[in-house]
Amino acid sequence: MQQNEFFTSRWGLILSTLGIAVGTGNIWRFSRVVAQNGGGSFLIPWVIFLLVWSIPLIIAEFALGKSTRLSPIGAIGKTAGKNFAWMGAFITFVSTAIMFYYSVVAGWCIRYFVSAFSGDLFNTANHLNYWQQFSESGMPVFFHLVAMVIGGFVIYKGVVKGIEKANRYLVSSLLIILIVLLIRAVTLPNAIEGIKYLFTPKLEFILDYKVWLNALTQNAWDTGAGWGLIMTYAIYMKKKEDIALNAALIGFGNNSVSLIAGITIFSTVFALSSTDAMMQISQSGPANTGLTFIYLPLLFSKMSDSILVNTIFASLFFMALSFAALTSLFSMIELATKTTMDFGLSRKKSILIVASAGFILGIPSALNMKFFINQDWVWGVGLIISGAFISFALIKYGVDKFRTNIINGFGSDIKIGKWYNIIITYLVPIEVTVLLLWWLISSTTWDPEWWNPFHTENLGTCLAQWLIVLSLFIMLNKTFVKNVLKNEN
Amino acid sequence: METIITAVLVIGTVWGGVIIFIRKAIKFEKNKKEIPE
Repeated sequence: MQQNEFFTSRWGLILSTLGIAVGTGNIWRFSRVVAQNGGGSFLIPWVIFLLVWSIPLIIAEFALGKSTRLSPIGAIGKTAGKNFAWMGAFITFVSTAIMFYYSVVAGWCIRYFVSAFSGDLFNTANHLNYWQQFSESGMPVFFHLVAMVIGGFVIYKGVVKGIEKANRYLVSSLLIILIVLLIRAVTLPNAIEGIKYLFTPKLEFILDYKVWLNALTQNAWDTGAGWGLIMTYAIYMKKKEDIALNAALIGFGNNSVSLIAGITIFSTVFALSSTDAMMQISQSGPANTGLTFIYLPLLFSKMSDSILVNTIFASLFFMALSFAALTSLFSMIELATKTTMDFGLSRKKSILIVASAGFILGIPSALNMKFFINQDWVWGVGLIISGAFISFALIKYGVDKFRTNIINGFGSDIKIGKWYNIIITYLVPIEVTVLLLWWLISSTTWDPEWWNPFHTENLGTCLAQWLIVLSLFIMLNKTFVKNVLKNEN
Repeated sequence: METIITAVLVIGTVWGGVIIFIRKAIKFEKNKKEIPE
């Protein structure tokens, strides 16, 4: 398939791809998971898994997109063989199912930015009540619509005028805002206690296998590796563009942002919390919203005696969060749009279908927190299977051939050695198996009726929804091949 | 002491990685301007 639109420069590509990787997970999930897993003890495996999960899979995604110029259905079908196009469809579906509720999350962030900017957020002393009143009303549907309209408009404008331009402004602004917040946070009295907690390792935690599994999960969910999103943006990279160096920059850049956000949140909470700081950071709250939407607004109101200063910093925080959510949402909308385009539709028609479907299918998550939690659970764990399918495609093609001809092929700035073969062939499949078994077996312990597919968060609901989607896609494999791979030999 | 070692290792690896790869990217980008698409 002839590709006509490309990112104008390496920096445009890097900022756009960083926009995928940096999402709300860097800002609110990272701090909570670090707090629950012993601070510094968590950071050591977290760095190790950046090297043996995230970066190798980001490299694979860049290479699959650049070499095939097709969305995941075509890319996996062309690389692993036509019998496996359904795996690409599964990868696409998982990220699209996440898009439905992630747009709701982006809407929450926009709503809180508006509230902080207008001063409304500080008109209440009870932030739990403020959150409940918002989340139980119809307002999340309106802000979900706002997020989907913004995302749809950016994708409608295309790669250069839409994705690249928006990410250049939003990701650059996000990084600047985070650094401003970091400087403010570390200069608060007692902030050093938070930083100390963040970096102090505890032996009992390092020896706990759960800390290692949580570190791997954070890398799997937070970097965007294995989602098919980077693969989609890589379709638009120029032939002379490098793969390995850009992938490494995205992986390290993403985890750097997590670290900046972590230092900011730990410093702020330890400096301003009048009660147990650790309990406040590690509390989940409904759909893991506790720290961000309930506790941090309270802390921002106590940041200084000046309401103006507090308003500015709260607005900056929620603006950063909105930018992080939107730039990730763009990539999810683009993945679904590009897939539809691969079936022969124009960008205009595709975006209309995707944005409308995205809005309608996101409404249940906007209105019902149990539905939201169910979808987050089922497709969040489903992402691990997506990572396995990408690894499988490379193994089927021949990892050494893939590395030599594609990753180290035309345009490569740095060459990847044979260590890559070992990681993709052995380590990633082991990581996938252990992680899947751990999550699924754990889920049987927190629900006595673990087999019941109508429960919110258990093994039964995962298996039921995965099996329906996988069976459907396996049956439709010939249709995928006929439509998406019709021009390929 | 272990706090400082962990901070140096983690920040050094993660932020160090960014600095090293940005410098490499700038260097390679200069050479690539000559390559036509």
